[in-house]
Amino acid sequence: MAASVFIKVLTDNPQQTLRGIYARWLKTGELSALLVPAVSATGVAAPVLFSDPEKVAMVSPLLPVMAVNSASIVAEIAAERATETRVGVVLRPCEMRAVVELIKLQQIVRENLVLIGIDCPGTYLPAVLGPELVEDRGKLDEWVIEFVSGQDRYFEDERLRSACQMCEFPTSLVADLKIGFLGLNVRERLLLSPVSEAGSRLVAGLETEPAAENIPERSGYLDRFVQSRKSRAEQRIADFDRVGLGPENLVRYFARCLNCHNCMKVCPVCYCRECFFESDVFQREQDEYVRRSKRKGLNRMPAGTLLFHLTRMNHMMTSCVQCGICEDSCPAGIGLSVLFKKVARNAQAAFDYLSGRSLDEPLPLTTFREDEFREIGEE
Amino acid sequence: MSFEPKIVGFLCNWCTYAGADLAGTSRIQYPPNMRPIRVMCSGAVDSVYILRALLEGADGVFIGGCHPGDCHYVSGNYKTRRRMVLFNSIMRSLGLDEGRVLVRWISAAEGKKFADTVTELTERLRQLGPSPFRHLWEV
Repeated sequence: MAASVFIKVLTDNPQQTLRGIYARWLKTGELSALLVPAVSATGVAAPVLFSDPEKVAMVSPLLPVMAVNSASIVAEIAAERATETRVGVVLRPCEMRAVVELIKLQQIVRENLVLIGIDCPGTYLPAVLGPELVEDRGKLDEWVIEFVSGQDRYFEDERLRSACQMCEFPTSLVADLKIGFLGLNVRERLLLSPVSEAGSRLVAGLETEPAAENIPERSGYLDRFVQSRKSRAEQRIADFDRVGLGPENLVRYFARCLNCHNCMKVCPVCYCRECFFESDVFQREQDEYVRRSKRKGLNRMPAGTLLFHLTRMNHMMTSCVQCGICEDSCPAGIGLSVLFKKVARNAQAAFDYLSGRSLDEPLPLTTFREDEFREIGEE
Repeated sequence: MSFEPKIVGFLCNWCTYAGADLAGTSRIQYPPNMRPIRVMCSGAVDSVYILRALLEGADGVFIGGCHPGDCHYVSGNYKTRRRMVLFNSIMRSLGLDEGRVLVRWISAAEGKKFADTVTELTERLRQLGPSPFRHLWEV
């Protein structure tokens, strides 16, 4: 395993530097394709599977926009063992954590992939990209670079996706190669940290300078970052507790749910091919609807929305990475990210587990010890 | 009329259900508030069944399984235990943790323990009163 290295940024443009590196990985044949963020001429900001180095100008490596959690895309691409290709996936920390969970859930074949984790100070919804940005590529790059060099301004930006405002994972935990820029001057240099053999191969051949084990300006910055985000999360959870706790409040919190199941469909770790809640179990006949109605005298329709949410939480909470994509997809605007932040944190802490922290930690519900949790079941 | 709680009970086929049978054949008296449902293993009781009972008006839920180490399927009840740790944590995080759900390991030989457990849960629920979801039709 090689040590971390700096790569020099030319012409003050780290976007261009990363484009050069990505194109090179394709040209040398080290990778067959790369999953990276891009912005099209029509203004579509989305992850793309990028294979032709000639098209690198569309790629926007540091784009602070999140339209989907790319782990879902990785699960689509790498569900089966590949024989001829190797895909590099450049992922934000929350996406990488979801990929780790999906590998453990046997939904992603890890051997097909080179996992590249990139720092993330937070993201906006795609709507942030107005026409003035997508029409002028130079302006778009300048906006992106301005954002990623924003340093302390990230802390207070209320326009960030609300999950991002509470996120305490600006760097990837698991990866073959990590790309770092937080706490550094992005117009001067980027940090490449190979973690595995595959990661080292990507760095070999690049013109680099050795980096110290510990870079004080980076670690100090990351500490402040995490502290700030944590206290924001505490604030938001306290706000939720004031309005969301207990049966009546919770019913009110979910009152606008349309039962569309978007939150489940976009969730990277809600991996079932067919959700129990979309199965025949919930198809009823008129007589049965009336019988159920008679139990309480009247039933809100569509029925069973709270059952759906509470059950979904029980099924996926130990793997939840709090990316907040569920909230972005909710047409009713239910504040899911703070709720999942709180519930997931407590649920994972109960098992000393953290989603996406390690490929070696077994999923909490797939393992057990004989001498644990004696408080359950005993008098 | 005084409040009588309704309890939905999920009893494992190999231990707790047989324990309930023994309570019956031994003519041990206990409150009639529980509707027992026989399941092959406590490990088969997904959270959705517990939640559905609670949201649709049950005042309490009981889950009975074999003692740890005695599971007919070797490890089903260890998985029940972890699942219930998760369930309890989620309920607590949402302020829904009112002690309406009880898990107990009761063997086929423990008829008395079965009767005592049903009595205990019934008493607890009489104190707690009706589940708020009994009347919350908008769930």
